[in-house]
Amino acid sequence: MVNASNKLLEVKEVHKVFGKGQSETKALKGVTFDVLPGEFLGIMGASGSGKTTLLNVIATMLKPTSGQILLEGQNISSFKGGQLAAYRGNHIGYLFQQFELIDNLTVKENIVLPLAIHGIHVSAQEQQLSELVNRFDIEELLNKFPSQLSGGQKQRVAAARALISNPSIVLADEPTGALDTKNAKVLMEKLSEHNQLHRSTILTVTHDANAASYCSRILFIQDGVIFHELRRNVLGESQEAFYERIVMVMAQLAGGSSNVL
Amino acid sequence: MFFDFVKRNSRQTRKENGVYFASLIVSIMAFYVILSLGEQDVMRYLKTIESDAVDRLLLLIPVLYGVSLVFVFFLVYFANRYQMQQRSHEFGMYLMMGMKQSKLFLMTMGEAILNSIMSLCIGLPIALFITELINLTTSRLVGMGIVGHAFRISWVGILLTICGFFLVQLLAMLILSFKLSRKEPNELLHEDKDKSQSTMTPKWGVVSLLSGATLLLGTIFLCIAYGMAILYLRNFDYSIFALILLIGIMGTFIMFRGLGSLIGFYVMKKGKSTTGISMFTARQLQENVLHQWSSLAISSLLILMAMVCFAFGTFTALTNDAVSTRTVDYTFNDEKAEIQAVVQSEELAPYIEQFYGMALHNFYASEDESTLNFHFAWSGLMEEISSATDSEAKNILINNFSQKGNPYFISLSSYNDMLQAAGKEQIVLADNEVAMYSSEVTGAPYDVLKDLLQKEPTIEIADKEYTLASNLYSDNIVADRAITLMYALIVPDTLFTQYFDVVDTWLWNMTLKSDFVKEKGLMQAMLEVDQVLNTMDVQFESYLASMGRQLFYTVAATYTTFYLGVMFLLIANTVLGLNFLMQQRSTRSRYETLVMLGANVHSICLSARKQIWLYFILAITVALISGSFGIWSLLTALPAAEFNVRNISVIGLVVLLFIIIEVIYIRMIQRKSDAEIQKLNDID
Repeated sequence: MVNASNKLLEVKEVHKVFGKGQSETKALKGVTFDVLPGEFLGIMGASGSGKTTLLNVIATMLKPTSGQILLEGQNISSFKGGQLAAYRGNHIGYLFQQFELIDNLTVKENIVLPLAIHGIHVSAQEQQLSELVNRFDIEELLNKFPSQLSGGQKQRVAAARALISNPSIVLADEPTGALDTKNAKVLMEKLSEHNQLHRSTILTVTHDANAASYCSRILFIQDGVIFHELRRNVLGESQEAFYERIVMVMAQLAGGSSNVL
Repeated sequence: MFFDFVKRNSRQTRKENGVYFASLIVSIMAFYVILSLGEQDVMRYLKTIESDAVDRLLLLIPVLYGVSLVFVFFLVYFANRYQMQQRSHEFGMYLMMGMKQSKLFLMTMGEAILNSIMSLCIGLPIALFITELINLTTSRLVGMGIVGHAFRISWVGILLTICGFFLVQLLAMLILSFKLSRKEPNELLHEDKDKSQSTMTPKWGVVSLLSGATLLLGTIFLCIAYGMAILYLRNFDYSIFALILLIGIMGTFIMFRGLGSLIGFYVMKKGKSTTGISMFTARQLQENVLHQWSSLAISSLLILMAMVCFAFGTFTALTNDAVSTRTVDYTFNDEKAEIQAVVQSEELAPYIEQFYGMALHNFYASEDESTLNFHFAWSGLMEEISSATDSEAKNILINNFSQKGNPYFISLSSYNDMLQAAGKEQIVLADNEVAMYSSEVTGAPYDVLKDLLQKEPTIEIADKEYTLASNLYSDNIVADRAITLMYALIVPDTLFTQYFDVVDTWLWNMTLKSDFVKEKGLMQAMLEVDQVLNTMDVQFESYLASMGRQLFYTVAATYTTFYLGVMFLLIANTVLGLNFLMQQRSTRSRYETLVMLGANVHSICLSARKQIWLYFILAITVALISGSFGIWSLLTALPAAEFNVRNISVIGLVVLLFIIIEVIYIRMIQRKSDAEIQKLNDID
């Protein structure tokens, strides 16, 4: 077992309340969990369960109402302006459902953008760049513009961008949401490959059981609290078997006999 | 209920979109300033002495008003388009929630009307203030402190301003609403996305190559236009002028079309070594140039026009410097006896300091049977001119002096009387010497002539040789500035009386007592004397009236050119600024991505500010290069202005005005852009 001080990310009693008074909505009601280095963690839940809010809070896009989020021991939820900027794109990599590539920059310019923003010369990361470009199979595309790419290609470029600065953790928000099954499969395989080779930590929010089956652990969230956890037995269990288990939990989440009125 | 809704939306607009609102206010000011021209102190004063010309100018105002309508329409149209684009998502939502197209139309129109009323409430007082400021400035610049100043409101001007503004605003909104009504709700809801998806054409390489070629072509075109302007514009020819204009405009457009690839090339080259978001800055600028090349070209041409207008206005104001050359206050045109009666009359006598005849006559035989020798030749002078170094000025002089017809003679004593009255040193002529006189002493030919006079060339009068004095004289010999003598000779009285009888003198000059002028100010003093003279039956011309005429042309030319210049500049800036903000708006998601990738908001603001500077500077630089050629050819066509301290400071002020307007605009757009970007920072 990894000892406690090795935790990469600690989410402690996080609450998030939107609105005030009558229109108050509690999106997160005390979520607590840890992420260990090298984990490929999935967060699943139905629409409105709070999973995107949770990811946004971890991603520093939202401030939690109460609670703490520690990344490598630093409370990033209390960060402001400059501190936030130093963490974003550098210690935290992002992968969005809609790719969010900047469409007047070339593929290469897009990938090295986080480096440029943080003042790192591209030449220092040349090797890293070529490895990522190879892994995600985008060598041919380097001088193209995003509008010349297919959805799958765009997301692979976005993945390379998220990983270029060797972030402590990559946060992915429905990364396969805008992709067809084939491209979704390719992307998840590449991400999982990278995770296993480099022990990189990935946290992904998804409602796609297929994509989730690549994870090593899955947290299910419902009504703002963590409601179930699944772990994949690394050696013993096949991906198909894990998928079956996920689907079963999802069936319960989606309705389950107890929810039928 | 609906009205409340409209009211709330319009308030929101005013709060959120200062640029839009400022554009509306500027257009109101533009209307009122031109419409109230007739109420300006200078114009009112000029009307009293030069009513015909002023009336003619005031007839021109409707034309200027019409021109302003067109320009202001573009201003308002752009401002509204930006505004509508910002709210397209909102409009989409209204439609999806079941609002009828007609109701949406009513709503936007209602808001437009409410905004217009608010703009008028703010804009009209500002316009009044600005016209008052212009009024005071012109009164001061005229340099008399005498154009009695009073605050006036042009009610017709206000009425027409309101009408014109509503017309323009409603027309712009009608067109935009019509466009809006043809869009599907989905299009409105996702306008931003559509825009950003179609930003780059797939055939990038081809586009880049082609635009590189067009850049070259545009530059060549521009150079041809410049070259032609220098070579041919002096001998004004409409077809050449049209050709230069056409090539120049085409060159500007084509060049801006191709400029994008140059920036692309720069990005490629710098790409490896850049850190920070400078690459993003350059790409954003490139995209702006690629998509907005036509409005960049139009803005650049408008700025060019503004520059030329400013230059023309400034130099007209500077060259017509009537104030400094006052020598004679009144000139009467009648028999000596009658004039003397008037001058010595009880009413007039107290005002008069000097009174003398200006003896002046054309050197020709008025009667065929005259026995006098009227032979005249510029012989010695012509020789000197011919031996001068070749120049355009020399050709002009040769041409002038080889024309037939004899010059005017001015009697020395008359001229000296005038000099004495003006407090200047009198001329002493040696034996067989005459002096050269010319009303105008600016321009290259006069400079050459002045130099030649130093060599004391000779002329022939009645077969006798006379030497020309080494000075060229040019003081005004009568009050009427319209009477000019291109070349005349100041001759000794003995010579003058040989030919002409002093009794024939028909011009009588008078100057006012200097104490009186000092006490009352020139204008008031002269107006007082004018009133006295008007009661008497006598023909007269006053310095004031004649200067008024000059002043009028100066004021009219300066005022209209400056007005047009400021208009051009404001429109160019608004088009540039709003285009930039619209692009920024439609690429908002890029800025969000940058924040997520760890760029801090401050550095993104800096990037946007840099983009704005560069975007404006692109347009201004091209205008500046073209403008320097334009102003150059303009100056060769105009009589040269003196470069003394006052003139240089005036030119400096105009340049400063230009820079201030530009910087204010750029800062305004930057602040707006900063505010937009700051919104990205809001995390709750």
